Amino acid sequence: MTVRNIIELRGVEKRYGTFLAASGINLDLKEGEFFSLLGPSGCGKTTVLRMIAGFQEPTKGTVLIDGQDMEGVPANNRPTNMVFQSYAIFPHLNVGNNVAYGLRGRAPKVEIDQRVSEALEMVELGGLQDRGASELSGGQRQRVALARALIMRPKVLLLDEPLSALDKKLREQMQFEMRNLQQSLGITFVMVTHDQYEAMTMSDRIGVMFNGRLKQVDTPTTLYARPCDQQVASFIGEMNILPAQLLAENGDTLSIDAKAFGQMEIERNPNVATSARDMNIGIRPEQLEITTEKPEDYPSTVQGTVSNVAFYGENIHYHIQVAGTDKPISVSVPNYFHTVDFNRGDAVWLGLQSASVIDLGTNIE
Amino acid sequence: MIFRSEASRGYTLSAPATAYVGFLVAAPLVILIAYSFWTQTYVTLDKTPTLNNYRDAFSDPLVRHLMLRSIWIAAVVTVVTVALAYPIAYFIAMKARKKTIWLLLITIPFWSSYLLRVFAWKLILGFNGVMNSALLMLGLIDEPLDFLLYNEFAVVLTLAHAWAPFAILPIYVSLQKIDPSLLEAATDLGNSSFQRFMRVTLPLTIPGIIAACLIIFIPTVGDYVTPALVGGSDGKMIANLIQVQFGAANNWPLGATLSLIAMLSVGFVAIVFVITATRLGRRIR
Amino acid sequence: MRRPSTLTAYAFLYLVFLYLPVLFLPLFSFNSGTIVAFPIKGWTLDWYRKLGEQDTLIQALWNSLGVGTVVALLSTTMGLFAARAFVRYRFRGQRAAEGLVMLPLVIPGIIVASSMLVLFLFIGLKPSLLTVVLGHTFLALPFSVSILKSAFDDFDASLEEASYDLGVGVFETFRRVTLPVVSPGIVASMLVTFTVSFDEFVLAFFLSGNQPTLPVYIWSQIRFPAKLPNVLALGSILLLTSVLLLVLAEYFRRRSSASEVR
Repeated sequence: MTVRNIIELRGVEKRYGTFLAASGINLDLKEGEFFSLLGPSGCGKTTVLRMIAGFQEPTKGTVLIDGQDMEGVPANNRPTNMVFQSYAIFPHLNVGNNVAYGLRGRAPKVEIDQRVSEALEMVELGGLQDRGASELSGGQRQRVALARALIMRPKVLLLDEPLSALDKKLREQMQFEMRNLQQSLGITFVMVTHDQYEAMTMSDRIGVMFNGRLKQVDTPTTLYARPCDQQVASFIGEMNILPAQLLAENGDTLSIDAKAFGQMEIERNPNVATSARDMNIGIRPEQLEITTEKPEDYPSTVQGTVSNVAFYGENIHYHIQVAGTDKPISVSVPNYFHTVDFNRGDAVWLGLQSASVIDLGTNIE
Repeated sequence: MIFRSEASRGYTLSAPATAYVGFLVAAPLVILIAYSFWTQTYVTLDKTPTLNNYRDAFSDPLVRHLMLRSIWIAAVVTVVTVALAYPIAYFIAMKARKKTIWLLLITIPFWSSYLLRVFAWKLILGFNGVMNSALLMLGLIDEPLDFLLYNEFAVVLTLAHAWAPFAILPIYVSLQKIDPSLLEAATDLGNSSFQRFMRVTLPLTIPGIIAACLIIFIPTVGDYVTPALVGGSDGKMIANLIQVQFGAANNWPLGATLSLIAMLSVGFVAIVFVITATRLGRRIR
Repeated sequence: MRRPSTLTAYAFLYLVFLYLPVLFLPLFSFNSGTIVAFPIKGWTLDWYRKLGEQDTLIQALWNSLGVGTVVALLSTTMGLFAARAFVRYRFRGQRAAEGLVMLPLVIPGIIVASSMLVLFLFIGLKPSLLTVVLGHTFLALPFSVSILKSAFDDFDASLEEASYDLGVGVFETFRRVTLPVVSPGIVASMLVTFTVSFDEFVLAFFLSGNQPTLPVYIWSQIRFPAKLPNVLALGSILLLTSVLLLVLAEYFRRRSSASEVR
């Protein structure tokens, strides 16, 4: 079964004077998916969201919503609704009137009341219609903003950094709530965020943006396992990036010399181009084994010295200085036994499975 | 440190200003109230308490007439000035590129002498004045227009001109405070720009509008210069009558009584206005 | 998005409405005819020359300058203390105190004037320049407080704390840190309060007795048609002075605010 595209961006570009806020954006969003635009601040992700909403017109390209070209369609006539970063709760209206805002004059009063109480129920604010806008907590404001947008039954719900104003605990709770809400409603959610964990926990797919360009669009697991370049690799989670040499190619298998870790065969990453001798490989810190004695069951091992220890609580990070590399190698170990096993200056062994090594391709620059 | 607590430092430093203003508001009020119960014949002041002044003031049709006219003129001036000022405030806050330049341009005329601005209108509107002579010269009229000066219209026009900046600034400030994402939210929820203005912008600027109205209404009720210069006999206001009591008529007790009545009437109208405007604002959804 | 054009046009029309009436004063002050009407007879500077010959005018000018200067000093000093108290300290009744200081702005002029006249005579002060000073200081205070409040608003409190931390005392810190930083605000306040006093008529009319200030002098001249050209010349000079003082004040006020509004 093929899923319909609800939003299609075709060669979309936004230019402010000489500054390119977004360029060459091609993106298909499927009906009913939770999609996140992820990137550092100023990368153009909010611009893309606002072009979908209709607050900004692209300087080039087309935005299609449900197959309809949106050129010249103002924001108030688009089948999208938005949860703003500041939530934009109308201060002169109470909760009920905030949520009812978009329906006034478009539906009979009885129906509006009915839908408002349903919407508030849905975001777990049932019965708070008469609460004043100024009496709401941050979390409640977020829920009101959500209810106010969802009551319009949009084809696409747009969320601009919806959780950034909340504290950590509440943020984590809302991540799950919003994900559940999205799945039960089946509406397409498009969220802009700079928080990779938020994007990964909530989304079906993530689009990673840098400098106005959409670098990679994939599921969270693929993004993590098969990033398209070093920039994406180090933005999504932590990554040790090491130089290596390509010795031979054999279909999807690459034979490489990973310097300190020795020669090995790794899987080709279809998202990158690996053709020249000099290439890069990536190793996630949690994929490395750290031991005092040389590990037996790892095909590839290397000896090093602990140069830094950072205790994070749920896991412990070690920086290991290895002969032949400038940058220390990061290793992350779950905190199983509530102890830090290695100290600065300790001699240790690192063990690595070749399946954990990610092909990051040839440097083009 | 001389003073331990923040509060005591705050009190001490603000004391000269608050005491000065407080004294000059309260003391004259007390004396004014006292005077209103006394009687004056020529130069002798009879301090026997009496309600005669109040009885005279309330029974005199001229007083009632001037008081009502003052409130009426001030109300018209307020409505006209605020209605004319709102688009300007909106323009400066929402559209203008060089906001500070515009604000400066709007406020400069206010800093020229009030007396001279009113005087300028007298010259413009006069029978042999600037306007009539210009219209005659251009051949637009054959005879000078005689309805320009010395009536309520001249008073309203002059006051509306004089108080313009006072209306613009508070409205500008309240427009400036509106979070742009509120306007985007209204659009996002399906409002046209007109609906958005009526349902979000206007209700959120009601405090600014109320402030503008009070800032204009209260002083204009008691304005002296404008009715004296351009009002003629049809445009006289309560302030002119009060001045006469303290001047030519030399009846200070009656003057004091009229001042108090004027103050209370203004206060009453202002309070009723604030309550109604706030109520009306709340009904917009 | 097509709206700005009509709004902009309206804004410019509004400026014309604001400025045009006032500009007739200087225009006709150069008119050689004595009637203020079109067509203009001819151009002359006579009316300006004759101003210097009038002793009562010169006396009124000195009165106004003196009153304005004292008012500027008094109201700015009180305003400086009050503004600092309002911005830097939190105390009970603060909002009421701030409101009280702003009160002179919204009391009708005639009521302020008549009640002060009654008060001053009651406590034995004859109408004179002194009573005008007292009255104008009352009117000017809200202006000086609000200007200095915004000057202190932009003043980073940690600057003073840094000075204390470096071992400098309270008064020394005020002189060496606070005053220099807020001094543009002080200058702006002096200029504005001077202008408020210099232009004020109703209070001065009630309280000046036989020592007229310039606006009171002008009032006495307005009634005589023959004196009109004189008033026009004098008025034009006053307009120019006020505007210049204000632009200067604005310049200083801008300098005092660190966060520039663009």
